[in-house]
Amino acid sequence: MIANILDGIVLGLQFGLLAAGLTLVYGLGGVLNLAYGQMAVLSAIATLFAIDAGVPTLPAVGVGLAVGVLLGLIFDQTILRPIYRIQGEARVLLSLLLTLGVAFIVDGYLTWRYPTEGLSIRIGGGPIDILGVPMRRGSIVASVITLLALGALFAFFRGTTLGRAVRSVIEDEEGARLVGIDPRRMLRVILALSGFLAALVAITQSMVRPVTVTAGFGITVFALIVTVVGGLGSVTGAMFAGIILGMVNNIAASYIGTFLSLLILLGAAALTILIRPSGLLGVKE
Amino acid sequence: MTERFAEATGTSLIGGTEQRASRSLASLLLPIAAVGALLALVPLWLGDSRVMMGVAVVGLTFACYAIGFNVIFGSTGQLFLCVGALAGIGGYGAAILADTVGLPVAVSILIATLLASLIGGVLSWVAVRRSLGVIFTGIITLIFALAYENLLLGLGGLTGGESGFSISSGADSFLRRQIPPYYMMLVLVLVFLALHGLLRRSHVGWAFRALRDDELAAELAGVDVARYRVYAAMIGAAMLGLAGAIYAFTEGRISPTTFGFAQVDVVVLVMLAFGGIGTLLGPILGAITFTAIDEVLIELGQLRVLVYGILIIVLFLWIPRGVIPSLQAWLRRRRQT
Repeated sequence: MIANILDGIVLGLQFGLLAAGLTLVYGLGGVLNLAYGQMAVLSAIATLFAIDAGVPTLPAVGVGLAVGVLLGLIFDQTILRPIYRIQGEARVLLSLLLTLGVAFIVDGYLTWRYPTEGLSIRIGGGPIDILGVPMRRGSIVASVITLLALGALFAFFRGTTLGRAVRSVIEDEEGARLVGIDPRRMLRVILALSGFLAALVAITQSMVRPVTVTAGFGITVFALIVTVVGGLGSVTGAMFAGIILGMVNNIAASYIGTFLSLLILLGAAALTILIRPSGLLGVKE
Repeated sequence: MTERFAEATGTSLIGGTEQRASRSLASLLLPIAAVGALLALVPLWLGDSRVMMGVAVVGLTFACYAIGFNVIFGSTGQLFLCVGALAGIGGYGAAILADTVGLPVAVSILIATLLASLIGGVLSWVAVRRSLGVIFTGIITLIFALAYENLLLGLGGLTGGESGFSISSGADSFLRRQIPPYYMMLVLVLVFLALHGLLRRSHVGWAFRALRDDELAAELAGVDVARYRVYAAMIGAAMLGLAGAIYAFTEGRISPTTFGFAQVDVVVLVMLAFGGIGTLLGPILGAITFTAIDEVLIELGQLRVLVYGILIIVLFLWIPRGVIPSLQAWLRRRRQT
């Protein structure tokens, strides 16, 4: 039980970080990125290739994170350009469709290049004990990295000028523009951050369990569910929802079975939308 | 190009341009009859090949799906990302009722269709009640589609799980022969088209258009927004369920991928976007085009997914309103000059 809860919290924090990357782009740019999971998978593959090429683990992780940031920036400069030109609900819809196209391109290429899950990414080691509970070393490292990233994320938003500027745009784009903040530039920062978070979660996930090349769509859906439950545009909400859903997932998985646990997760998300369409901590539009 | 997207569609992608709904009944039925006559000739051309007839039946089934989705999304702007799930409820529902419960095939198809219609109605009712926008409607129906796929695998005892469900009922009926299923599906396509056409012309169609153009104004003018949305969803979902159920019996074997999200929803969305969302004949044009493209690309295997991705991007950037509305606009311009 304790192991389940601990594992669930770690998993939940990872869900939260993952969702934060999605929810920030939505909150700031009104763009729902359905190729988000593919960004994560590509970064993890980059890490694996770096390790295979003889790079030590830590720099290899750096390579993966850099690829994530790069992918975010490429996204910002290419596929999102035509999307930014339109406003409102049409923007969300077009972003949804175009990024779905990108997701298909990446998935199609990967499944063609590595058929029948020919490539799975696995980084990590054997078990050690915590509170008398055996946990794999991979999940310990993953938890530490996750917590550090979480701290850094909050420090960025509360403590730095850039982070505050980003928050001001989320709250009031027009007002931010009036005080001299360029929303378009903030969006570029956030896409880089989003790519970074996707890469980070994919790499830490691969320390706990293997990530397959086709995991992209699943990752996006999970991030979407956590985002919706936490409230679109709210990072704190995403963390909160991530932890709850992570624990629900692990406890349900070990007591009821994985088949029902996903259903429970989906049910929880649907229920949240119905009871509180703006999410647990979301802002009413 | 995307500026055109925004101005052509206002707040949504839906750009049906055939707004002169006062045309006579003949002018509505004529194009449908022409499509029917043209498609009725296909077995003369491909009828010798069992494989090609199978492909043609799949093409017509997707035309049915696209029409059903068009009624829901094209008419009332409800983004239902559970097209495959609703068709699957029709298909699996009918198969289980006929094989496991032992009901006659026709009764099973009827009940499964009603079930799909009911579920579509409930989803729409919930979305309307909670006034969910396009995106949240999309997300909640996507969640429903995922739950459905998960249930399909989880209830393996009933559905055959991953390996699928072999339908033994109706194995000796005309639905399993080489050419009759094609005509069965063609009749379905034509009936759906006529239904959609009549719907557009009726006061329901006026309400739909008013809703699409300006929801607030329509509501103020006395259009019962909620009721028409739910009607559209129920009719569209019934079409999806019926097409799925009949397809299941012509095929004799269904599996989760028969009605999967990637295999149905994405393809239907691309077909409809290509033909023209909200137009009468757009779904047919899209279904024929992409069935043909799919046959050409079959040797590419998994790379087909990549090609679909590129097509989605190119289509939505280049002709966001679809081929039929773009053609109509082009013809109008030619006539004026």
